Amino acid sequence: MKARFPFILLAAALAATVVPALSGLDFGKLTKAVNDATKAIDTGKDVAKVGKSVVGIGPQEERKLGEAVAVEIIGRYGGLVRDEDIMRRVNLVGRALARYSDRPSLDWQFAVLDSDTVNAFSAPGGLVFITRGLYEQADSDDVLAGILGHEIAHITNKNALKIVQRGDAATGAKSLLINNSGDARELDAAASQVSQVGSTLGFDVVGLAKRLFEKGFDAPTEYTADHDGRALAATTGYAPGGLRAALQQLQKKGENRKTMFSSHPPLPERIKRLPNDPAPPAPAETVAAADAKDQPGGETK
Amino acid sequence: MKTPIPRLLLVAGFLAASAYAAFEAGSFAYTKKLETTLLAEPKPLAEPAGKIALGHKVKVEEVKGAWLRISEGPVAGWVYAGNLSATKPDESNKFDGVAFLASKTTATAAARPLDDTVVQYADQRQLGNARGDLEWMMASCAEITEETVDQFLKEQKKGEYQ
Repeated sequence: MKARFPFILLAAALAATVVPALSGLDFGKLTKAVNDATKAIDTGKDVAKVGKSVVGIGPQEERKLGEAVAVEIIGRYGGLVRDEDIMRRVNLVGRALARYSDRPSLDWQFAVLDSDTVNAFSAPGGLVFITRGLYEQADSDDVLAGILGHEIAHITNKNALKIVQRGDAATGAKSLLINNSGDARELDAAASQVSQVGSTLGFDVVGLAKRLFEKGFDAPTEYTADHDGRALAATTGYAPGGLRAALQQLQKKGENRKTMFSSHPPLPERIKRLPNDPAPPAPAETVAAADAKDQPGGETK
Repeated sequence: MKTPIPRLLLVAGFLAASAYAAFEAGSFAYTKKLETTLLAEPKPLAEPAGKIALGHKVKVEEVKGAWLRISEGPVAGWVYAGNLSATKPDESNKFDGVAFLASKTTATAAARPLDDTVVQYADQRQLGNARGDLEWMMASCAEITEETVDQFLKEQKKGEYQ
């Protein structure tokens, strides 16, 4: 993997020299960001570190990659639910959790995908999505916190970035496009065009999105995210059994691997590995939940 | 359902046990925020007693519920356990705020616009609607300020306001 960085550098240099108008990596902005970071954060010694980070996957590249992956997620899962109350709830609970996560300074943003399937995704840089099908299972903020905590853990553990760094996402743009085009020449042209934009970004976005949609992370990575998400929920003050309760609820309904957490390990395996926490109280059982109906982030259903 | 109070106590017990088991007096922890403010007392609104930058190893001197009295050299004070990590944070996390800081200095609107590269990517992938949704998401999220989150934590008695 180390050997790839010189190529990325070379490609970036070529892109900047030959096709400056197309170069999405705005080096002026990057330089400004480095300068801002230098002023705002630390001493001159850290300038080299920021520069080094930009050569690899720096904060701005991570965010750009995340936004491009987010476009793929939103496009694949029916767009976003444009409901202000729902947005407020997921963002208040999500950002409460993120504040005590291992990356509290990221620009954390949460949204609900307009899809009946049950799934959740995270994109690098702090972008978290859950489907409407899963959101509707979250009858209490404890359960919602368990679900969001898992996705936050993927971002704080830099799981997607590690896939990019290992080169595991380099599966090519074609396979994701196959469903949309039966014509080989059209497919090649589309893949070439997408690869070109991917090169401008410096990452194989389509490959990463495909990997996230179809295979997800490996099982140990998912179990770690379950564990870390549970701990984060508990630290923030939510019941630690929220995620387990959500998984058990789905299991009772009958697991369908095509529509339920298709990119995650099977429900029984995940439930088995989580501590046997009691299910969180239903909203009506808690005074806080009753009060929450009149408060920001309260129940919307 | 019929006995909500014992269930709540049970949940609270699990919370306390699972959340803070990692820290005990004499152990070490790491700061994970760009700047961790130490307080004079174990209360969220207590007077500041000092600040420690990200990634510093601190000694846990005393534990009081979810609050820890920590020290690093001459600097000492109380901090909510959720603001510390049991493991050393990734050095590069120091720059997590860079994109955010840069946008604050360049964008006039509260919401950061999508990067040109991402716009170009979405257009070439013919994902214009998804791009519109993402822009709406970013604008909606920008309306929820840190102060709003802080107020939410207070009202819901979460985090350091438990």
